Amino acid sequence: MSQRVPTPHIPSGSSRRGFLATSGALGGTLALAACGGNSGGGSGDGGSGDLKGVGNNGAAGKGRSGDAADHLFIAGFQWDPPSNFNTFSAAPTWPASGNVAQYVYETLLRYDVVSGKLLPGLAAKYEVDGTSSIALTLQDGITWHDGSDFSTDDVLYTFELGKIDPSLGVASFWVEVDEVTADGNTINVAINQDRKNVGMVLATLAQQFIVPKAVFEKAAEETGKKIATWETKECMGTGPYTLEKSDQTQIILARNEKYWGKDFYGGVPAPTKVIHPIFKSNEDGNLKFQNGELDVMQQFIPQISKMWDSGKPVGTYLQESPYFVAGSMPMFLINTTKDGLKDTEVRRAMAYAVDYASIAETAMSGYSPDVVASLILPEGAESEWLDKDKATSDGWKYDPKKAEQILKDAGYAKGSDGIYAKDGVKLGPWKLITPQGWTDWNAALEIVAKSFKAVGIDAATNFPQQAQVTTSVQNGDFDMACWYVAGANPATPWQRFSDVMSNVELADLGKTAYRNYGRWENSEVNDLLEAAAAAADDDTKKSAITALDDLYRKEVPAFPLMYRPDEFFEFNASNWSNWPTEENDYAPPMFRGAGNQWIFKIQKIGG
Amino acid sequence: MSAPNAPLTDEKAAPRSNPFRSINLSSRFWIALVLVAFVLLLGLAGYVYPTGPGEKVGSLYDAPGNGLVFGTDNFGHDVLAVLMAGTRTSLVIGLVAGIVATVIGVVVGLFAGFVGGWIEELLMGVTNVVLAIPSIIVLILISISLPKSTIWSLAIVIGITAWPWTARAVRAQASSVATREHIDVARLSGSRLPAILMRDVLPYILSYTVMAFVLQVSGAILAEAALSMLGLGPSGANSLGTQLHWALAFQAVGSGAWWAFLPPTIILTLVSFGFLLLQASLDEVFNPRLRRGRRRQMKQAAARRAAEAAQLASSRSEQEGRSEPEDRGEHGGRSGSDGPATPPAPTPVAPTPVAPTSTATARTQEGGLA
Repeated sequence: MSQRVPTPHIPSGSSRRGFLATSGALGGTLALAACGGNSGGGSGDGGSGDLKGVGNNGAAGKGRSGDAADHLFIAGFQWDPPSNFNTFSAAPTWPASGNVAQYVYETLLRYDVVSGKLLPGLAAKYEVDGTSSIALTLQDGITWHDGSDFSTDDVLYTFELGKIDPSLGVASFWVEVDEVTADGNTINVAINQDRKNVGMVLATLAQQFIVPKAVFEKAAEETGKKIATWETKECMGTGPYTLEKSDQTQIILARNEKYWGKDFYGGVPAPTKVIHPIFKSNEDGNLKFQNGELDVMQQFIPQISKMWDSGKPVGTYLQESPYFVAGSMPMFLINTTKDGLKDTEVRRAMAYAVDYASIAETAMSGYSPDVVASLILPEGAESEWLDKDKATSDGWKYDPKKAEQILKDAGYAKGSDGIYAKDGVKLGPWKLITPQGWTDWNAALEIVAKSFKAVGIDAATNFPQQAQVTTSVQNGDFDMACWYVAGANPATPWQRFSDVMSNVELADLGKTAYRNYGRWENSEVNDLLEAAAAAADDDTKKSAITALDDLYRKEVPAFPLMYRPDEFFEFNASNWSNWPTEENDYAPPMFRGAGNQWIFKIQKIGG
Repeated sequence: MSAPNAPLTDEKAAPRSNPFRSINLSSRFWIALVLVAFVLLLGLAGYVYPTGPGEKVGSLYDAPGNGLVFGTDNFGHDVLAVLMAGTRTSLVIGLVAGIVATVIGVVVGLFAGFVGGWIEELLMGVTNVVLAIPSIIVLILISISLPKSTIWSLAIVIGITAWPWTARAVRAQASSVATREHIDVARLSGSRLPAILMRDVLPYILSYTVMAFVLQVSGAILAEAALSMLGLGPSGANSLGTQLHWALAFQAVGSGAWWAFLPPTIILTLVSFGFLLLQASLDEVFNPRLRRGRRRQMKQAAARRAAEAAQLASSRSEQEGRSEPEDRGEHGGRSGSDGPATPPAPTPVAPTPVAPTSTATARTQEGGLA
C-alpha cells in the first residue's frame, strides 16, 4: 500500500513549453526600478502609497478598469483543456485536482507551510488523544453549493470511498486508521494501534477534499464502484467559489455569496471571479504575469528578481534570495543494488563531490537555501526537528578533494581513463535520469554529472519521458535518479525518512516499489521509523528523528540536491494589494491548505 | 566594359587566360568560403580559448562584460567557450552524418541506376517509402529509443535517415551514364560490375556527389540542432542545438538574455547559409549552364569563336568547321578548353542535365527536414 500522499511535482519548464516563445518580452521594460521606498516605478506603475503587500520594489499598479478589476487571474495549475472535474480521477482538472487551492472543495484541516500548524478548515478544531485517536469538531452552518446541508455523513462517506474503491488514493488512509465514527457534530478517528502514525493521519485529514455523499453515491452506482472512471463536468463543493464555466482557454470560478465561512473569515473573498487562463507554455504565462495580466501564479520563472528590478510590481513572500519558502527536497536516488553503488563509501564520496552551490545558483535560479546533510528541511515548519550542529559536523558539503580521498581510503584506484575502480568494479559509466522538461532538475543533473566526472566517477545524464522515468524508478531499473519525496506536510519529516529509507515491504527489483526506490537495506531502520512515528511527545519524537538522521548520514542511501518551495508563490500587485509577505505575514505563501486565507484579505487597488 | 550593343568585332579575341581564372569561381563562392572558413575557425578556436566550456565563470545569465564577450549561459559557463565547443560538435556531427548519408545514398543510387531491372525497382521502392516518411519523426523516434545519446550515435542516426534523396538523384545520374558508349567499352574489356561502378560511372557523377554531400552536411547540422532543441541531443556534450535547448528551457527569450540564444542561432544560420551558398556556387562551376552573366567573358568568347570561325572558313577546313561551332554552342561561356585544334575534353560534368533540377529538389526536401 502506498503511503504516498499525492503531491504532484509541477515541472518547472514544462514539456508543453513552446519552441517559439514570444520574443520581445523585455521591450519597454527597461525602465529603472523604483528608487527609494515608495516613490513608485516606471512603466506606468504608480507608487504604492501606504499599500501593504505589494511588489518587492515597493511598486504597485493602478488597477484594471471595468469588470476585470474585480477578477483574480491565477495560473500554473492547469495546462490541458479541462476534461474531468471528478476529484478522484487519474488527472482531475483544476480546481478539483487533489490538494490545490480550496476554492471549490475544502479539507477538514489546513496545513500552514510556514508555521507547520494545522489551521481550521471544515473542522473548527481537532484534538489528538495521545496516539490513539483524533477528534474533529465540524464548523457550524456549512452548506454545499446547491444549498443542502453539509453533515458528518459526507465526511464519513468521503473516507469510506477508499474502502468502496480500493484503487483510490484515499484508500491509504485505512492503513493508518481503524475506524471513523461520528457523534453529533464530532468526528472520531481511531488510529491503527499497530502503527500509531498520527502524522500520516493528520496529513490525510489536511489534504483530502471532502466530497458530497449524494453526488458520489450516484457516481459509485453508475460506474459499478469504479469511482476513478466517473466523468463529470461539474464540481459541487463547500468552498467560497463555484465552477461557473470552463473551456479550452480558461476556467472561471464565480464567488459563492452564500459561503458558510463568511463569519469565520470576516466576509466573502475579495475577487468576484477567479479566472485561470490555460497557457501552452510557461513563457506565455510568465509574459502575461510580468505585464500584470495575471495576478498570482505558481509557474517557475527563472530570475524573477529581474521583474521587480525592471519596475514591475512583482513580489514574493521573502524579499531577499531565496525569495521562496523551502517546502520540498528533490532527492538524488542511488540504486544500492548496483555494483559500486552498494558501497557506502562510494555514496559518501558522491555526496561530497556534488557542487550544491552551483545547482542552487544556476539550476534553481537562486531559489534554494544551502543544502544541509539531512532529510529534514532546514527552514520553515520542519526546522524544529533538525539538529543543525550534527548535520554540519557529521554531514557532507561540496569538497571534491575529500571525495577523492574517501575513494582512495576505501581502496579505489584511478584507472588510465581517469575513473576510479576497485577489484574490477569501475565507478561508472552510470546514467542519471529525470524526466525531460523538468528543466531545473535536468540542469541540476547536468551539474551532478560534471561534478562526478571531476572526481573520477563516470556518469552521464539521460532524460526520458516522465512515465518512463516513473516506471524505471519504481521498478529499480536505474543507476541514479533525481526524484521527489514527500514535501512539507503534517507527516514530514517522518514521511520523508520513510520514503527514502523504509525497509517495510521492500520491493524486489522489477517489482513496483512505493518508497525506498534505491532498495537500500538496513536492519535497524524499521524499528527507528516505528519509534519515531509512535513517539508520544515532542522530545521523544525529536530524538527518534535525530537517530534516523544519524543513520541516514552514516549510510547515505540518497541525498538532496537542492530545496524547492512546495508551491512557487508569485504575485503581481497591478490590481490587488495586501499579498502575504514576510512583513505582512497574515497568511502563508501558498495556494493549497492554509493558502485559502489571502483571497479574503487582498485589496483592490483601482476604483 | 563593353557597351551592350557594341559589335562583336569591337571585342578583342582575348587569348585564353591563366588556368585558375578559367575555373571561373564566382563571388558567391568566395563569400561561401569565407562563411564556412569562419565557422570552422570558430570551432577550432575552442582549442586555444583560455576558458573551457564546462568552466563555471559566472552566475545564471550574466550579461556580456567583465571580459566575457557573450556573458554566461544558464549554467554560468562562458557562452563564447560553449559556442566554440558547440560549433565543433555540430560540424563533426554534420560531417559524419553527411558522409554516412552520402555513402548510403551513392551506393544505393549507383546500383539502382546502373544495374536497373528489378534491383532498381526494389531499391527505389524502398527509397521512395523512406522518402515518404518525414525524416524528423523517424529521427525523434530513433533518438528516444537509443539508450545513450552520444555525438557519434546522433550523427549516424541523422545519416541513416537523410540518404534517400541522394539515392534518388544519384540513380537518375547513374542510369544516364549507363547508356554511354564507354560503359560498353569497359564491359567489353572485361571489367566487373564493382570496377565499372567505381571507375566508369562514379567519376562522371562525382561533382554531383560532392554537391549532395555539402547539402547533406548542412542538413545534418540543422537536424542536430532540431533534435537537440527537443532535448534529444548528445548527453554531456555541447552543441549549437543543446545551447538553444538550455536557452529555451531557462527562458532566455523571456528574461532578455539575448546572448544565450542569439550567438548559436546566428552561427547556425551562417553555417547552413554558407554551405548552401557553397553548394550553389560549386553547381555553377560544375555545370556551365548555370553560370551567371559575365557579359565580358561571354562576349570575349563569342568574339573568339567568330574569329576562329573566320579563320576556319578561310582555311576551308571543312571537317573542323562543321564540328567546332556545334561544340562551342554546347559549352556556352565555358572557357576551359583551349585552342581550336583541341577538341573539348570529356569533362565528367558536361552531360549533367539532371544536376540543377535534382539539387533543387534536394534543397526542398532539406527544407522540410529542417
